[in-house]
Amino acid sequence: MRNIVIGRYVPGSGFLYRLDPRAKLLALIILIVAAFLIDSFLHMAVALAVVLLLLLAGRISVKRVYLGLRPIVFLLIFTFIFQVLFNRQGELLFELPLHFTLLSVPVLVLAVFFWGFTKKFIRFRLIYFIALIVGIFALLHYIDQGIMFWNPTFAVFDEGLQTAFFIMLRLIIIVTLSTILTITTKPTDLNLGLEHILKPLKIFRLNTEEIAMIIAISLRYIPTLLDEANKIMLAQASRGVDFKEGNLKEKVMQVVSLLVPMFIISFQRSDDLANAMEARSFVPGRNRTRLHVLTWRALDTACLLIVGLFFMAALSTRWL
Amino acid sequence: MSFIEMENVTFSYRSEDKAIDDVTLSIEEGEWVSILGHNGSGKSTLSKLLVGLLKAQAGTIRVDGIVLDEATVHDVRERIGIVFQNPDNQFVGVNVRDDIAFGLENLQVPRKEMIERIETYAKKVDMFEFLNKEPQQLSGGQKQRVAIAGILAMRTDVIIFDEATAMLDPKGKRRVLEYMRQLNEEGTTVITITHEMKEAVLSDRIVVLKDGAVLKDGPSKDILKDRETLEQSNLELLLPLEVMHRLEEKSLGDERIKEHLWALSLNG
Amino acid sequence: MGIEFERVNYQYTGIDEKGYLALADVNLSIEKTGEFVALIGETGSGKTTLAQHMNALLTPSEGRVRIFGLKISKETVKGGKLRLNPIRQQVGLVFQFPEYQLFEETVEKDIAFGPKNFGVSDAEAKERAKKAIRSVGLDESYLERSPFNLSGGEKKRVSIAGILAMEPDVLILDEPTSGLDPLGRNGLLEVFSRIHRELDKSVVIITHDMNTVYEYANRVLVMREGLLVYDGDPLKLFSRRNVENWNLNMPDVLKLQRELEERFSLTLNTWPRSRGELLKALEEVLS
Repeated sequence: MRNIVIGRYVPGSGFLYRLDPRAKLLALIILIVAAFLIDSFLHMAVALAVVLLLLLAGRISVKRVYLGLRPIVFLLIFTFIFQVLFNRQGELLFELPLHFTLLSVPVLVLAVFFWGFTKKFIRFRLIYFIALIVGIFALLHYIDQGIMFWNPTFAVFDEGLQTAFFIMLRLIIIVTLSTILTITTKPTDLNLGLEHILKPLKIFRLNTEEIAMIIAISLRYIPTLLDEANKIMLAQASRGVDFKEGNLKEKVMQVVSLLVPMFIISFQRSDDLANAMEARSFVPGRNRTRLHVLTWRALDTACLLIVGLFFMAALSTRWL
Repeated sequence: MSFIEMENVTFSYRSEDKAIDDVTLSIEEGEWVSILGHNGSGKSTLSKLLVGLLKAQAGTIRVDGIVLDEATVHDVRERIGIVFQNPDNQFVGVNVRDDIAFGLENLQVPRKEMIERIETYAKKVDMFEFLNKEPQQLSGGQKQRVAIAGILAMRTDVIIFDEATAMLDPKGKRRVLEYMRQLNEEGTTVITITHEMKEAVLSDRIVVLKDGAVLKDGPSKDILKDRETLEQSNLELLLPLEVMHRLEEKSLGDERIKEHLWALSLNG
Repeated sequence: MGIEFERVNYQYTGIDEKGYLALADVNLSIEKTGEFVALIGETGSGKTTLAQHMNALLTPSEGRVRIFGLKISKETVKGGKLRLNPIRQQVGLVFQFPEYQLFEETVEKDIAFGPKNFGVSDAEAKERAKKAIRSVGLDESYLERSPFNLSGGEKKRVSIAGILAMEPDVLILDEPTSGLDPLGRNGLLEVFSRIHRELDKSVVIITHDMNTVYEYANRVLVMREGLLVYDGDPLKLFSRRNVENWNLNMPDVLKLQRELEERFSLTLNTWPRSRGELLKALEEVLS
């Protein structure tokens, strides 16, 4: 739990750090929409190049971004496979009959178990996983003995392949841009920027200051909660709770013994905190002066202009 | 007219037992009063009633001439600040600076003045170097000092320390008690809520609560040696006094010893 | 064969902050029986870290801890082959805040939780719960109540009962009396004292209250910035030099005794450790 560093704020310098969080948030939204507008390989490549340029110009460590992408690698591969399997548009590129028989399916299951048990010994897990996928297809194709109960044809179409790539690349762009945002912006600044950007929503009778305050207080308590969770686990371990082992029933008990105290402490805390806030003249809905103000600078206007241009460019690819 | 006046105030959490039972009490400006009582005597309920966090079912509360009700509750809160017991459950801001700012933002203090006040009062509690620190980087005592700074910055007339030292180690306790003394010397009305005789004895006046009612109300010196009252409320007599009483009982020791014991107990 | 610390270092690493040495070269030996140890030190001195090594919640970064003969070190714990869970029954540790521990629907279930985790039958666990609740000074009617509807002091007692019900050989308590009023405090200390005397079990109490140290402990450990700077007799601890160097509070009884002895040239015949003993000693001298 203590290793949640995905996209976490890393102090640094450079123009990405100097930008107003509002500009960054708006830029992110516009660029994400732009990423969905692009639909040709050439333009995708350009977009990726731009993102890479952004990383380098902003002096962001590519390694950190890669680490930010790692958690979604399986999602990317899954999405890719899903698209390839079910998108049957365009020209046929490749065909492979698959045989689900009374022999091939058990062998398949064995192979998956084998992968499951041996993967901890393999260094390059990603490649091993891809090997598993290839292996599964090979198995289902070459083992055709036994009573067959399903005989689909795995077919890859060119448009399907293309869409699969596009979706994958779009995800990569979106996640990379978001990671750049969270790496270069303190959570509190992000929250402040969000509060300002959401102001128009006030017409829907949404109290944006309150929402921002809720987020701010939650942020403040995350480290405290992590610390308490740790202490609770130690306290329960002292009563014989073994968090490492246990069957399903025991695991449920372990989780309960951790969650109940956390909830109780949190309820008491909300009560105390609400009292403390009100005692310090907090009135929900009333106007407050603010210690932190955001100043919009020329850099921010320039940023939005450039992003706007990219958006226009992306838009034009659709109509040309 | 006293600054704080409570007249026949009664309050119950649920319909059964009264947490505060027909309490009448006044506190003058500039006084230092301790509300002393065993756990469950109603002391914390009292402080919440004074700032309108709880609504009394009977009786009146007046602060600076203002009668406390739904309409005036905000005016009262500008005059009375409370430092609560749990350092973690009153720290709102992401860091020390933001936490001290919280109250000022609520009071709509202009930004420039906010910055000045934050600096001034952080220095006053020796937390100036810690302005950028986050709460998990601070000890309990440091967090309490930040809470105190936050209330000081709001410039209230009265500060209530609601068992504010209960969760601190001896060093932290000493420091907070020292602030209480300093503040009172500078003219702030201080109310200490505690179950520790050693703390209560530092103030000018002690109000002893038992089961929601005022058992005794008088100068610290008198309450200090009121064995009956203290025993009734499960509170301990200070050791020098207990010795003094025993010597008197058994007609031992001379006046010098008894006087010295008395002096020792006054110093806490 | 009790709890032994051999050259124990513990490196604490925070999330964003750099780490620091919470325990530095600690050597210590606590017997399984007969000891009533007070563990004192300022916040951050390492006393909680030290206590958490005693029931193997923590493993030393360097050095060894031997608990009833079982060697706990970085090497022996690596790989997860060493079964640490049984130690938690043998060395019972009560945390400072009962809120970290209470979670069951009823007090009875919560107290029984510990014993059941160590294989005690439901029926036996119920019996132990009854015994434990009485031993902490609460009557059996508390067993049916929800642990969350109790006062702070009552919660504290229930959490202590939960560990007592496990029938550990050694009992470690982290500030068991903080936040309790004088009556509550004395009541609980008597419970621990009784366990120590009647069952001859060793008790370790982490406390800030010097009166507790002086009245009950037969041995004091002082932690300071990760180092064990004193290990010995409570009386010798409060020498003038130590009090100054380590900024210690004096126990009320000793403070008064010294005052009276200096001011009025009285010399008491004994070293009274409690109020009662002081009163008696003074009566003797003055009559």
